[in-house]
Amino acid sequence: MTDPTAATPVGRSVIHDLGYRPYTGPRLGEGAIARALVLTGFRNAFGLGRSGKSKVLPFTLLALNLLPAVIIAGVMALTGADELPIGYAEYASTTQVLLGIFVAAQAPVLFSRDLRHGTIALYLARPLRASTYALARWTSLLAATLVFLILPVVVMYAAALLGELDVTDQTRDAGKAVLLALLLAAALTGVGGLIASWSTRRGFAVVATIAVLLIGNGIVTAVQGIASDEGATMVGEWAGLFSPYSLYRGLARVFGDGGDSLAPPTSGAMQAAYAVVFVATSVACVGALVWRYRRMAER
Amino acid sequence: MSTITLETVSRWYGNVVAVNGISMTVAVLVVLAVVVRVVAGPGAGYHAVVGLGFTLALPIVALLAASAVLGPEIDDGSIVYLLAKPVGRHVVAVSKFAAAWVATLTLGALPLLVCGLVMDAGDPGRSLAWTVGAALAGTAYTALFLGLAALTRHAVVIGLIFVLLWEGLLGQLLGGIKWVAIGPWGEAVAAALSSRVEPGPGTGAGYAVAAAAVVTAGSLWFAGDRLRSFTLRGDE
Repeated sequence: MTDPTAATPVGRSVIHDLGYRPYTGPRLGEGAIARALVLTGFRNAFGLGRSGKSKVLPFTLLALNLLPAVIIAGVMALTGADELPIGYAEYASTTQVLLGIFVAAQAPVLFSRDLRHGTIALYLARPLRASTYALARWTSLLAATLVFLILPVVVMYAAALLGELDVTDQTRDAGKAVLLALLLAAALTGVGGLIASWSTRRGFAVVATIAVLLIGNGIVTAVQGIASDEGATMVGEWAGLFSPYSLYRGLARVFGDGGDSLAPPTSGAMQAAYAVVFVATSVACVGALVWRYRRMAER
Repeated sequence: MSTITLETVSRWYGNVVAVNGISMTVAVLVVLAVVVRVVAGPGAGYHAVVGLGFTLALPIVALLAASAVLGPEIDDGSIVYLLAKPVGRHVVAVSKFAAAWVATLTLGALPLLVCGLVMDAGDPGRSLAWTVGAALAGTAYTALFLGLAALTRHAVVIGLIFVLLWEGLLGQLLGGIKWVAIGPWGEAVAAALSSRVEPGPGTGAGYAVAAAAVVTAGSLWFAGDRLRSFTLRGDE
């Protein structure tokens, strides 16, 4: 018997063909990678596919956000009221704090971790451009935020229809609320994602996002309050341009869906400015995100 | 002890993101006060601006300060080198608290005094009362958030939920929350010091001071206790 540890004598070594074969199936391109990334990102935003602990926060927030809608549905069923106690679009500005915390806490999940741990290099080693990666991440967070915003609207809409309220009215109002939710979600996602990609320490990103969103909103509200006390309504309208929440409240009033905006835009030009600034904020944030990830990819 | 505090303070102020974010917020608040004073005259909008600083900016500054003195060190694991020093864990907790407390007072309570004096120079007593209330609330906030940071990685989010949901949203709906929320205690002290701080939440300054002291001492002891049985965990 030969000694298995002995070296093969010089000149006697052979290469065996073990029959290994390369992958010959279809290779999916950038689009398929982006779609997969959007889907996993969306699941990760709710902690699905991650540890049990990371599911606690998003689902707690989602439950808290749904709670008033469920209560409204219950009250509607029991009392047989002939209108909803709160408008569809007004709901989101009542629960804006929950929404802010959700976006602030979940944006780092999607935008910080790959940068902090350097795993972004593995993604970009695929046929995936940095800009596509950034857009896919943004889409994931946008979808998660939309679920967060629209679910209560759906619950209330169902309650309204089951309570035999006027279908046309309810559908029109709910549709407006969904459109506004889209605008708000796009702006919040842009701001949250940009901050999370900049400050990759999770805690700082969360606090910075909250500071920008809620203190910004607080300052706008203070200015609007003072302006209406002083009788300077134009100042209040202009101030409303500076926070996504106040833009949302202003446009909700324009759409005639109640709300508590202190200074809704009155003139046509101002209303158009609200819509334009709302969209431009989102576009600018997404543009900055793409630019940021492109620069990270170059390094 | 003082070495840890000094080192933490210098690190905190060296943290560009934290300091830039907070200084910008505070600066915006002060600029707002100046603009309102110039445009609308003395006294106008005082409550809106100072109230904003007290109920929103102050707790957020305290939260950032408290989580910044402990969180990054726990995240990158370098806290073990600190804990390996022959210094009591409670001493470490108190030193960290001192660092965060300095930051909260200088960036959370002091700007309120500046805003107040800018907007209503005629009545410094009112601004001083708000500042003392803010210092008291800021102390309790900082200690509570430090305890949270020693307890869990999600201290920031839990702290935000406490401030924004419990004190903010629910506090407006359920009056009884003033007994178990930190902000109203600071307001109670401010209301006791100046008659122009109205309306006080009605817990009484005695209860407010005692409750804030209990929360501060309890949280600090808890933070030290958590550090005593500290285990490093992986990221999520």
